[in-house]
Amino acid sequence: MNVDNNKKCPAILGRAYPALQSNRVTATLLSRLPLHSETADPDDLILDLLDEHNAVIACAPLSEVTIDAPLGSMPRRMTFPDGTLFETDDHEGVHALTGETRGSIIHGLEQFGPRLIVIVLATIAAVWVLWRFGLDILVAAAIAITPPILVEQIDRGTLQTIDYAMADDTELEDPEKAKVQKIFERLLSYIDEDDIGTSDFKLLFRSMPDVGPNAFALPNGTIVMTDQFVDEFNDEDVLAGVLGHEMGHVIEKHGLRQTYRSLSIYVLVAFLVGDTGPIIEELLLEGNLILSLSYSRDHEVSADQFGLRLAQDAGYDPAGLKKFFEWVTENAIEPPQWLSTHPSSTERVKEIDTFIESLN
Amino acid sequence: MSDGTFEKFKFTGNAKEWFGIWIVNILLSIVTIGIYSAWAKVRTKKYFANHTYVADRNFDYHATGKQILIGRLIVIGGYILFNIVLIALPILGLFLVLGLIAVMPWLIVRSIAFNARMTSFSNVRFNFLGTAGKAFLVFFIYPILTALTAYTTAPFLSRAVQRFTINNYRLGTASFNFDSAIGPFYKAFLAAIAWFVVAGGLGMIVTGFNFLEFASAMENAENNPEAIGPIIGMFYLLLFVAVLPAAMIYYAMIRNTIFNAATLEGGHRFNSTVTAGKMLWLAISNLVVVVCTLGLMLPWAQVRMSKYLAENTDLIPGGSLDDFIGTQQKETSALGDAFTDLEGIDVGMPI
Repeated sequence: MNVDNNKKCPAILGRAYPALQSNRVTATLLSRLPLHSETADPDDLILDLLDEHNAVIACAPLSEVTIDAPLGSMPRRMTFPDGTLFETDDHEGVHALTGETRGSIIHGLEQFGPRLIVIVLATIAAVWVLWRFGLDILVAAAIAITPPILVEQIDRGTLQTIDYAMADDTELEDPEKAKVQKIFERLLSYIDEDDIGTSDFKLLFRSMPDVGPNAFALPNGTIVMTDQFVDEFNDEDVLAGVLGHEMGHVIEKHGLRQTYRSLSIYVLVAFLVGDTGPIIEELLLEGNLILSLSYSRDHEVSADQFGLRLAQDAGYDPAGLKKFFEWVTENAIEPPQWLSTHPSSTERVKEIDTFIESLN
Repeated sequence: MSDGTFEKFKFTGNAKEWFGIWIVNILLSIVTIGIYSAWAKVRTKKYFANHTYVADRNFDYHATGKQILIGRLIVIGGYILFNIVLIALPILGLFLVLGLIAVMPWLIVRSIAFNARMTSFSNVRFNFLGTAGKAFLVFFIYPILTALTAYTTAPFLSRAVQRFTINNYRLGTASFNFDSAIGPFYKAFLAAIAWFVVAGGLGMIVTGFNFLEFASAMENAENNPEAIGPIIGMFYLLLFVAVLPAAMIYYAMIRNTIFNAATLEGGHRFNSTVTAGKMLWLAISNLVVVVCTLGLMLPWAQVRMSKYLAENTDLIPGGSLDDFIGTQQKETSALGDAFTDLEGIDVGMPI
């Protein structure tokens, strides 16, 4: 502490409390040079705390008094070795007495003024960097420590929900199922063992009239194809393209990535910003969901490319996947781009064309 | 401070000053890859405690950044270890999960106690004496029982949680006390449900919203996506018209009930006069301002809410506030606090 010994500090008015008591008295803090008997260090100031009758309540060298770091305009507090607490709103007086204390630099940064604009800009930049790069690192770390048993459990639980809410047992004939199963296994044999890792690929059929022709993948490798899909598309190339696409989701861990991304954002906001109050918190979760939809569009494109490559490796015509999207374009109306988990089908047909060209 | 006078709570923080502290908290937390967030938490808690006054005396928060950081590191380390064991020895999974359920009540109690002991009013620390056994009943068993009655007994659960928290709270040696007939809790519960049903019903008739349609539109997102846009719009409208006002009605009525029934040894009583309408107005206008400023006005919104809550809370002293006596306290670790922070469990007093 930089205390100018020769400068006499003015008296500081405030309130004092005995140790562990709420009993409050008006008090004055005075500082003076030490007597020889009081301290070994002649440079140390002695603080005397007086009550309203000028009786000494507490007395100690400045170096032995604990001084709380400054924070905004809240009262400054000092605790004497015997536990007596002195509290004052005289910020200048305390500053004159102690000079710069611990916490002064941060306190300075926090002052509202032109300099704060720089800090705001720096913060916006930092948040952007965190959003752009930090999240991916967090997500990758979370995936690395996710136990396979948990992923298995996600598959089992989700399948139960689907079966309960919207799916019936399959009505497909055995030869139909066997045909799709054969394509599935052929594709699987063309995936690198290392890429499969702990994933447990299996193909299931369900009748889902409300959902229509579709297929989807769960994180641990359970791929569900609807009866309606098999009924609509008999073409092996289409089946291979769509199955390959779903396998891409599993291999690239898109499901886990999306879940962890939403969770990470929520946790980061809670840690960085603190309590947002009612409603804002709800909106944050929902807004998050919409953003994660746009994120999943990248996943769809990436899974398309995986599926196309895999289908071609296994000897199918990669144009099969295109046929599926052409069918979607003919049979359904597109949602607005921003609301969609999937890029528009026409866009995807275009991207598939470009990609097939690059494969050849 | 004679008997029976109302001493209003006051929140003296201001948005400009808090903005400076808040933005530096965020910047330093990011730059230090999260380490500073422990100190940021302390500064936040200290700021809000110190600017809350009643009868000219304020609160204070005493935890140090180092304490909070150590607690967080232990919890994060424990979490990583937990997952690694699950990866290496999946067989142990069930035991680990059971173990976690067993220690959770203990961690929750530690967390409430830590927050109480780190907070003081007029130089006297709060304390919390609740036991893990009772916490297990209140936070794990009662919710299961409530679910078994199809949530018709939810007000009993709500009251049990308040009794457990408040009756075990102390200011120094002085104990808080809370008890209430079940009537006010049912009144709040039914009022919220009534609003939800009536406003939600009217909303559905006016907008033509149909939940089955909504569910099937969500399922068919890929094949028939045109239906989704307007339906999601209506869903949000209903959320603001039916769900959020109902939540505010419940919050306001319960808060008033709790404060009006709670006492502090020494004949001190409390009073709360918040209204659902004002709360809803604050919440929605705060939301609009915060969203329009990309979050930068959040400190302003927080100060505004704190001011409203303080202004609608009173202490009715039964005697001098000079007579509270604190107790010597053992060092408390921030382990439980870090755990509830990470899990997003709210353990504060409903002030």
